[in-house]
Amino acid sequence: MDNYRPQIGTLIKDLDTPCLIVDMDTLEHNYGNVASTYKDTVVKMRQHSKNIKSPAIANMQIREGGTMGGVCAAKVSEAEVMVDGGIHDVLVTSQLPTKDKILRLCNLAKRADMKVVIDDPRNLRLISAIAQENKVTIGVLIEVDTSMHRAGIRTASQGVELAKQATDLPGIDFKGVMSHQSLLGKPDRETRFIEGRRYMQMCLDVKTAIEDEGIPVEIVSTGETWTIDVAADMPGITEVEGGTYALMAHSNDYMEDYDIAVKVLSTVISTPRSSTAIGDVGIRALASPNGVLPAIDGDLKIKVEGLFDEHIVLRSQGEMPLKIGDKFLLSSGQQDITVNRWDKFIGIRDGKVEAIFDILARGCHN
Amino acid sequence: MERPIFKPIGTPTEELDTPALIIDLDALEHNIRTLHSFFKSNVGAQVRPHVEAHRSPAIAHKQLAAGGTVNGIAVNTVSQAEIFSQNGFSDIFIAKEIVTIQKIAHMCALAQHCKITVAVDNIENLKTLSEAALFNNVTLHTVVDINTAQNLCGVEPGLPAVNLALAMTKTEGIEFAGIMTYEGPILEKDSGQLSQLSKKWIQPVLDTRELIEREGITVGMVSAGGTHNYEIAGSLAGVTEVSPGSYALMDYKYRECRPQFIPAAKVMATVMSHPEPQLALLDCGQKAVGSDLGFPIVEDFPNASITSTSAEHGYLVFSDGQSEVDLGDKVLLTPFDLGNCINLYDYMNVVRSGKLNSVWEVSARGRYR
Repeated sequence: MDNYRPQIGTLIKDLDTPCLIVDMDTLEHNYGNVASTYKDTVVKMRQHSKNIKSPAIANMQIREGGTMGGVCAAKVSEAEVMVDGGIHDVLVTSQLPTKDKILRLCNLAKRADMKVVIDDPRNLRLISAIAQENKVTIGVLIEVDTSMHRAGIRTASQGVELAKQATDLPGIDFKGVMSHQSLLGKPDRETRFIEGRRYMQMCLDVKTAIEDEGIPVEIVSTGETWTIDVAADMPGITEVEGGTYALMAHSNDYMEDYDIAVKVLSTVISTPRSSTAIGDVGIRALASPNGVLPAIDGDLKIKVEGLFDEHIVLRSQGEMPLKIGDKFLLSSGQQDITVNRWDKFIGIRDGKVEAIFDILARGCHN
Repeated sequence: MERPIFKPIGTPTEELDTPALIIDLDALEHNIRTLHSFFKSNVGAQVRPHVEAHRSPAIAHKQLAAGGTVNGIAVNTVSQAEIFSQNGFSDIFIAKEIVTIQKIAHMCALAQHCKITVAVDNIENLKTLSEAALFNNVTLHTVVDINTAQNLCGVEPGLPAVNLALAMTKTEGIEFAGIMTYEGPILEKDSGQLSQLSKKWIQPVLDTRELIEREGITVGMVSAGGTHNYEIAGSLAGVTEVSPGSYALMDYKYRECRPQFIPAAKVMATVMSHPEPQLALLDCGQKAVGSDLGFPIVEDFPNASITSTSAEHGYLVFSDGQSEVDLGDKVLLTPFDLGNCINLYDYMNVVRSGKLNSVWEVSARGRYR
């Protein structure tokens, strides 16, 4: 574990590197956007904690507004961290396939309103049995596959069948439907609205099919960072599972209202050739899924050329302006994967350390 | 922090909570024995295990106990050196340039507990290290980092390296230790080709050694080679130590080129969804296996492969259209790149004969500074 905890008030130029910094003004700007987007809408934000992994930072959005008061968690261990951090409504967005995990969920349900997604009747029956043994009720949402060919039911009739069973089983409170969609590349606004509406409508169609059977559907939890504005005025959606929007990543910079708040601060450790500088951070700390390299802040003449285990190679047009000891900022292509490799956010405002947040759910794979 | 359910020692592997990093103790011991027995009977170079790949003092102790070593280890950062110093290692080589004042001060403090050797490729950096060493009343051992195949840090072989070495011998607080290069990894299956490429990259370093010794200076340490070519680098006259790292736990990246080692580190995942006959979703994605450089391999099911990973999910697809796993089943994944996988976990579940034997901490996880 990293044990770097600099003095509050330290100037950014005096920080040791590499370290993960969060610009507090930018984070607040992003949170303010969500609060104003969802101020008067039926749809509210249920922030995904897998992106920030810190209850302190999740609670900041809840206080700022625009939320339904709870969060999503990808794993039951992550949900524990959020409940321990004072959040009392958590939707676990992955199926929990084992007794161990369901038992953890059921015990959290004694302290918080716990919900989980399902896509298989066998899993539903297992949850029901363990919930009954532990004298709790678990809320369930049916996951609908819309665009990712991942987990989730494939047809509305599968959804109706699951909803009927969920309604009949003890220990289960059928809540509704859920979906997550992805769109590759950097789509323009029009494409986002067309594709976002098309995918989320598939989830709404399952809701309608279930309601046609006389089963009420209370929650439609869908949408993510790229559909924050798309979902805002789609009737039927009750909550959006935005995650990346809080801290952002350069791959998502087409969402122009949201700015990159999380960056890695690095130092040049070697300038071995005239147009080359080597930084003190590599793929271990920055993450580079699918070969997407991090981007460097500032001087457009400097590009990231390569990423090694614990080194980064910068290349300039002409003479390298960076010298040994100079610091520079990097933003990752995938925000949540990067955050998961760090133990602390160093919160910065006006060039100084304002706060340090433990990334308590880092490594919560279970 | 990782928050697994800790099961009692003796628990069958398949009952462990997932995703879990599983270390097969027999495979680990086989790998260590294989490499260290080469160096035990080698007349020239000895091994200095590079511990960045596994970040585990428990494994590093086994490596040194296996013999054929210089009784020291290599790391990449000062904060990794701190962990291994605390865990009883007395000779630590930081194989990376250290430039920030905080880290240099930290390194000088560590030098009061153990022998610290550090890579240098710049004369100004050498002066800063000297001032700090004198101020702290310690000696820092320095190695000239020579660029060969990687084009990362390092001065060029020949005169630039000789000049830096000479400067080290004349700098107070500094003890000139020797020279190093890391030319790898050369992922080459053909042994003749591997040998030729290894010699091509290491020879300029050996030539540089001669040039330095002609100046009347002893070059005590010449470090080159890794898991990819340890037996070749270790047999070259003039190389004094080799710093392989991946061999202990192995990964898929090295598998075909280094068949003498067995993948000892796996990630165990559970099938969490089975929405189509050929498709199972595992509870292990990018965050729990580190697929930056390649997808993990499913060795137990020849018909199956991981075709994609998202942050929290692995897509397990059976090519003949019918999956051989069901909801709740456990699947072992061999990571493509070991270092990126290990660094995601706080605990290693060490198993022998299908049962939990020990839980080791990945003590240097996240130690980037």
